[in-house]
Amino acid sequence: MSQYLVKEGVKNLVKPGEKLVTTHCCYCGMQCGMHIRVNEKSGKVVGVEPRYDWPVTKGKMCPKGVTAYQTVDHKERILKPLIKKNGKFVESSWEEALDVIESNYKRLQKEYGKDSLSVFGGVSMTNEKCYLVGKYARVALGTKYIDYNGRFCMSSAAGGALKTLGIDRGSTLPWTELEHSDCFFIAGSNTAECHPTSIQWFWKAKDKGAKLIVADPRETPTARVADVHLDLKPGTDSALANGILHLLIREGYVDNQYVSERCNNFEELKESVKHWTPQLTSEITGVDKDKIIKAAHIYGMSEKSVVMFARGAEQQSKGVDNVSLYTSMALLRGQIGKFASGVATFTGQGNGQGGREHGQKSDLLPGYRKITDPEAVKYISSVWGIDPKDMPGPGVSAYEMFDEIQNGNIRAMHVMCSNPAVSAPNVEYIWEGFKKLDFMVVSDFFLSETAEFADVVLPATSWAEDEGTTTNLEGRVIRIRKVCEPLGESKTDWEIMCAIAKRMGKEPHFSYKNAREIFEEFRIATKGGKADYYGITWERIDKEDGVFWPCPSEDHPGTPTMFKEKFGTPDGKANLPAVAWKEPGEIPSSKYPHILTTGRVVFHYLSGSQTRRVDFLMEQCPVPYTEMHPELASQYNLSNGDKVKLITPRSEMILDVKLTKAIRKDTVFVPYHWGKELSVNKLTNPSLDPTSRMPEFKVCAVKIEKV
Amino acid sequence: MNKIMYLEFERCIGCRSCQAACRECGDHDAKERNYVEYVDFMESRQTFPMLCMQCKDPACARVCPANAIQITEEGVVLSAMEEKCIGCRNCTFGCPFGIPKFDFEENKMYKCDMCYDRSKHDIAPMCASVCPSDAIRFIDFDEMQALRRKRTQMNLVEGKKPQEGNKWQYVPEFFGVYSD
Repeated sequence: MSQYLVKEGVKNLVKPGEKLVTTHCCYCGMQCGMHIRVNEKSGKVVGVEPRYDWPVTKGKMCPKGVTAYQTVDHKERILKPLIKKNGKFVESSWEEALDVIESNYKRLQKEYGKDSLSVFGGVSMTNEKCYLVGKYARVALGTKYIDYNGRFCMSSAAGGALKTLGIDRGSTLPWTELEHSDCFFIAGSNTAECHPTSIQWFWKAKDKGAKLIVADPRETPTARVADVHLDLKPGTDSALANGILHLLIREGYVDNQYVSERCNNFEELKESVKHWTPQLTSEITGVDKDKIIKAAHIYGMSEKSVVMFARGAEQQSKGVDNVSLYTSMALLRGQIGKFASGVATFTGQGNGQGGREHGQKSDLLPGYRKITDPEAVKYISSVWGIDPKDMPGPGVSAYEMFDEIQNGNIRAMHVMCSNPAVSAPNVEYIWEGFKKLDFMVVSDFFLSETAEFADVVLPATSWAEDEGTTTNLEGRVIRIRKVCEPLGESKTDWEIMCAIAKRMGKEPHFSYKNAREIFEEFRIATKGGKADYYGITWERIDKEDGVFWPCPSEDHPGTPTMFKEKFGTPDGKANLPAVAWKEPGEIPSSKYPHILTTGRVVFHYLSGSQTRRVDFLMEQCPVPYTEMHPELASQYNLSNGDKVKLITPRSEMILDVKLTKAIRKDTVFVPYHWGKELSVNKLTNPSLDPTSRMPEFKVCAVKIEKV
Repeated sequence: MNKIMYLEFERCIGCRSCQAACRECGDHDAKERNYVEYVDFMESRQTFPMLCMQCKDPACARVCPANAIQITEEGVVLSAMEEKCIGCRNCTFGCPFGIPKFDFEENKMYKCDMCYDRSKHDIAPMCASVCPSDAIRFIDFDEMQALRRKRTQMNLVEGKKPQEGNKWQYVPEFFGVYSD
């Protein structure tokens, strides 16, 4: 016997004795709408149902989304605080764990000053929690050392957008308009595997004749269906973009009126791309000249085009340059601020957009305010009820925090909702850093590879056990609903931060009763900032299927399309930066003759802390492997399934070989979702982008040895 | 049921969310009944979903000595009835597409039933509901016909012709497969 839930003509199956709770997936920036099935009697999560009425994803889910609920009631959940005693974790009470934290924090603050403590945040949390992490570090602990895992994920996109457009909202258009576009230029994104539910929009447009151009060293499932696949050498995105810009100008595809009215620096850009002929572009990128010309013509002739990029272009030591140049393509064609056109980055983490706007970055305060701006400090201090003089200054980026640990400046770290022991580059250095810390706290709901280094592990709740808001990759603020009660003695991250703040004598600043109270304060904190959420309320989100920021007042409709009239720069005009070509931080040499690049597989999410615990996903992809072209493999006499040793200047590891012609002949690929000896990040290069401080995960030189 | 399953192999991105979702269907006992295969991984990443063809004259049912495989009035070929299935595995040998699988612990066959408790009410089966690229769709017959025509036109515009093997001749009309 089945019953049906009907909303706007959409039927959903509801089994007797169960209810459906409407929420969103916990993983990537798509934040797919879904219903979670809950047993009414036991209150337990039992399954998932598609949510057909969510406009962005219409019931679509990837395998991670379908199985996301299985992590909630997982047998490996941490249910009580753990304290490390004689090298082993022992369960404790919350009081005991907080006692240990309090005494260690106070001791270190007394001996080494407040900046001896640090916080490493994450953006798989709600906006409320992300906002509170910034406040917790700066008010409760009084430290300048705070940064977050978005530094490994989103910061180059942010840097590029700020440089060109003045405001970092990942997408300038809503996803629901994509079906009306007639050309997509996707660079460095394996959308089909990393944001699978986006693919339906490309197909909707393709069915009407839209063209797809994909720039990627691998013929990914996304590139496979492209009209033009630009199989560029990893790390040469800025050369490719300069080459396309050259052709757009040379072939007369520039929207001159738009550029003269709305952009600065066109003449300098024109001068700098003058020498980027298809021949030169082809020599540097390794892409066939004709394909570059074809791509430029298709993009140049399309009327409603979208330039999209992701980590492939961003996770480089010149990621900001790459993003700026790709954005310039859209600006030259006059595509930003128009219907079904624009520029967008694919947000890797669930709240990668919202989480980077509200003060988790070492140099930012809520609402995308600069911490170096005295007015911003004054305003946020007034919201937080502190003296502006007590506001710590800017700290350092995520990877650089580990330099500070080595220097002895950082003595303790609280890691929240993040697993840098897997996701950081050059991870052996990160492991050394964790070992060197005097004291380390991790809040997580599984014992992640990072948590294993901790002195105290606090059991946090999963996404289904708390409520709040997140901001999806379009810039749409949406609602995460509480599906079930916290398991065991787990507490939400905001409760954990409030409990520690209380112990540090800062209770008046952290006296929240629920997530909603944090949201109300958060709205005020963002008011007047670039990322203005003030007009967004939970009721509006429910009623309007999410609200796009900026939304400065409750009667403001939100901003689905950005930059319709002006850009976020002081003079309202976009910048077209002229960018000189730079090699990646590490290029192949006689000692390390090939290129290593890393990425995701569809079955796992980031460091795999959650997805590696889901049976179905592990069955599909249990271990990492190295993908290489048969011609490269034949040089080393390798066959499918052979073992191979990859060696870079930092470390080495052994992997199985997977042969495919769907990759460049000079490049090997390894997915990065595993920890310890299976972590490819042992090999990756921590060379940082000068602006965004994003490490160069996507390119390093590698040597291959048959085992 | 007024709708049919429509597959467009080119769209398949190999994510296997159809398989994950199949396990979520109420009476599927957390076992998937559809599959995703690579055409040839050495050459390309092209994958395709392999679902039960819901044959007009299903070999699995014909070879079942216990008459355990029922066909509904809408033409859906159901999984073996628990009380009738004798565990002989004739169906697994009989199916030309390799769809029925055998559960050795339970001693019974299991196969795609097109999420019959959903599809009989015109709710899409789980695989078609979640498929991120619309490679599997649950649509009206007329819509399928229009799509097939449009796809052929697009292929002509783009200079492509669908590659067809003889096996499509055996696919019943009930099942709208990408070819024309």
